[in-house]
Amino acid sequence: MTTLDTTMPGAATPETAVPAKLDLAAMYRESEIGPLLAELDRDLIGLQPVKNRIREIAAYLLVTKARRELGLEASTPTLHMAFTGNPGTGKTTVALRMAGILHRLGYVRKGHLVSVTRDDLVGQYIGHTAPKTKEVLKRAMGGVLFIDEAYYLYRPENEKDYGQEAIEILLQVMENQRDDLVVILAGYADRMQTFFSANPGFRSRIAHHIDFPDYSDDELFHIAELIAEKEGYRFDEGAKAAMRDYIIARRSQSDFANARSIRNAFDRARLRQAIRLFDAGGTVDADALSTITAEEIRSSRVLSVATGK
Amino acid sequence: MTVQEKTPIDPKKRYSAGVLKYAQMGYWDGDYVPKDTDILALFRITPQEGVDPIEAAAAVAGESSTATWTVVWTDLLTACDSYRAKAYKVEPVPGQPGQYFCWVAYDIILFEEGSIVNLAASIIGNVFSFKPLKAARLEDMRFPPAYIKAFKGPPTGIVVERERLEKYGRPLLGATIKPKLGLSGKNYGRVVYEGLTGGLDFTKDDENINSQPFMHWRDRFLYCMEGVMKATADTGEVKGHYLNITAGTMEEMYRRADFAKQLGSVVIMVDLVIGWTAIQSIAEWCRANDMILHMHRAGHGTYTRQKNHGISFRVITKWLRLAGVDHLHTGTAVGKLEGDPMTVQGYYNVCRETKNEVDLPRGIFFEQDWCDIRKVMPVASGGIHAGQMHQLLHLFGDDVVMQFGGGTIGHPMGIQAGAVANRVAMETMVLARNEGRDIMAEGPEILRNAAKWCKPLEAALATWGAVTFDYASTDTSDFVPTASVS
Amino acid sequence: MKITQGAFSFLPELTDAQIAAQVEYALGQGWAVSIEVTDDPHPRNCYWEMWGMPMFGLKDAAGVMTELKAARATRPQSYIRLNAFDSTRGWETIRLSFIVNRPDVEPGFHLDRVEEQGRVQRYAIRRKSA
Repeated sequence: MTTLDTTMPGAATPETAVPAKLDLAAMYRESEIGPLLAELDRDLIGLQPVKNRIREIAAYLLVTKARRELGLEASTPTLHMAFTGNPGTGKTTVALRMAGILHRLGYVRKGHLVSVTRDDLVGQYIGHTAPKTKEVLKRAMGGVLFIDEAYYLYRPENEKDYGQEAIEILLQVMENQRDDLVVILAGYADRMQTFFSANPGFRSRIAHHIDFPDYSDDELFHIAELIAEKEGYRFDEGAKAAMRDYIIARRSQSDFANARSIRNAFDRARLRQAIRLFDAGGTVDADALSTITAEEIRSSRVLSVATGK
Repeated sequence: MTVQEKTPIDPKKRYSAGVLKYAQMGYWDGDYVPKDTDILALFRITPQEGVDPIEAAAAVAGESSTATWTVVWTDLLTACDSYRAKAYKVEPVPGQPGQYFCWVAYDIILFEEGSIVNLAASIIGNVFSFKPLKAARLEDMRFPPAYIKAFKGPPTGIVVERERLEKYGRPLLGATIKPKLGLSGKNYGRVVYEGLTGGLDFTKDDENINSQPFMHWRDRFLYCMEGVMKATADTGEVKGHYLNITAGTMEEMYRRADFAKQLGSVVIMVDLVIGWTAIQSIAEWCRANDMILHMHRAGHGTYTRQKNHGISFRVITKWLRLAGVDHLHTGTAVGKLEGDPMTVQGYYNVCRETKNEVDLPRGIFFEQDWCDIRKVMPVASGGIHAGQMHQLLHLFGDDVVMQFGGGTIGHPMGIQAGAVANRVAMETMVLARNEGRDIMAEGPEILRNAAKWCKPLEAALATWGAVTFDYASTDTSDFVPTASVS
Repeated sequence: MKITQGAFSFLPELTDAQIAAQVEYALGQGWAVSIEVTDDPHPRNCYWEMWGMPMFGLKDAAGVMTELKAARATRPQSYIRLNAFDSTRGWETIRLSFIVNRPDVEPGFHLDRVEEQGRVQRYAIRRKSA
């Protein structure tokens, strides 16, 4: 039989006197959010505006925590957020880190992230939606609920759409159980705008907006190199040039998804490298096995269409 | 196969008439690697002065399998190599001069399937009286899955018992009716009723309550069930009384068991002294009749207690799990009866685990896979009281029946109050443990706090709070953490 | 009378914080918590009405407490219990169960008897009406 070593809500908590002064720097250290922020800096290429916003929010959360400890604020602050930006700009990754920050500062009890889309919340028939939405909410309690492409919940063209039911349950919990979970709504900026206009209840419950800009070409190139390195590959000089061309061409396509598109491109290049080595036969060394050449990038349909071949 | 291939011993010497050493007869093989299908036994032996420990170990293997004191040519009519048990390891017992642990492997063909009595006759039939040994003790055994699956095991088991009783997440509470002899049926049933309606889950006949002049068995069954059913109606909880059906013949035991079933009892009880065949028979009956079988280990102390001679209770526990009992008295560690806490925990693990890992401090020398055979509910009984609740819960967890006989019936405010005190102590301790509190450190304080709103608990703590039975245990596990074990 | 089923019926009624702590314990063991409701707490009535399915995959007690609140609001005068289910092999059963709501008045049970031969009594436990 294992026993839990944390103090449980049921255990007696003695009344503590309100302190006169607090050491913010010490609170910051004790919360151990520093390493989380550093990790975010390290793991995410670019995204400087996003990183700035997260630092701001973290500082705000820390100060709010201090204000509550000094008795300056009583109620739980609204912490629900909106992450807007194009696909592949790091929203889910940042949401995961945000859950960690909220946990370490004591705003959520467990700090896990439950990531869902409309299909997880909205049912197919009458009476199906409420249990689905509630189940997701219950699983997310103690942590963060991340709803990707949240605007799909709202379909004004269909007045019998069950999405409305999910929205109402969500709003109620976002308002009444702020201690129990934080909701992050995510999606394209313009469509989120439309969604908020049509659902002012959400807008008023969102405390923090973070806009995720597209990555620059240089940042995407850096991301490509990082992905390759993590997988134990490297681009030769020709491949590097080809990758830069690829990024420019790929961006102009309608389904461009920032870092995600680069990840997919790398996965395909790796397959092409394998077939090249396989067809060539003979012996290979470690260097050959880990090198991606221009050929693997250039043979992408993206580039052949762009160059008119 | 030639005789030469059958045995490593020079056949001319091996089968010439006369007396040979057991080791030379093939009962010692230091290079033997036990097969997965072998039954293994660990003995602690004390050879007579001048007897070589390896020869003594070989004698144990021989006398518990095919050997006799002299060479017999009729061995040559059999595949005798495979029938010979093999002692394969001998080590001195740490800190016990003159004693040796010896490991013996038996081929599975030596045993009848599904028969503990056959196992017992083989392993302990002869060897314990053998003159070259001053003393011998069977410390532990390992059974292969094929052998385990030849037994049906507990008729009910912990999981199904709890589902039948609708009681989860806490130890069960019991009490043995006292005085154990002399009460009339009517007075006896009163104690049952008071204890159960006060908050116990079970009450219990003692081992020697059968059908004596002061209370015939049928009278006892009727009055006890009146108490059980009244208490069930009072509390809305399923209650039970272990009706002891132990009797002189199997026919009489079946008669009593049938009557208990007819009256709606959920549980019957037998004593260990009825013997292995009777135990397996009544387990069959319980399986056929959906009855919980409570085993009182009456008599075990005659052969389990002394470290140098007899059988360890962990072996008895293993045999009983195979034979099929649902409740088994396995000691309290903190009460009036023998038992070192770690050794007692070892018995609990044998009762409850799906697989025992080697655990030398708890006396478990072999890995044992129980092959999904049901779990036995251990019973802690004998000189325990509410003030020890934190220790009991810490040592034994939730899946145990805690029997507070004197600690219930001897309560100064009456039997019901005694039951309330025990139940409140138990519930409050489970609640605190689940909240993550360190009950070994805070236990006495947790009990004192509950006593502030529970008068019966306050009285119980005042009466027995200081009672301990702090004697050195005779049966501790002699182990050294570095001992190599196979 | 007070029905004493469940693990904590001899203690003063648990506060929500105490209930949440027990739920946290159950979740920490990897058990799934479910809520059941009945107006018939007969000791042999083992199938209470399920208040939804067992809540699998919860990380925090708040989800259970939210449902408990809803159950109490709907059935304030019923018995409500929390069960924690362990799906590990060899257990596959409830590992903790306790009552978290009771009606204001608990009517209790009658013990009915029918005489049979040889002093045998046939017993039946029947719920008293409120």
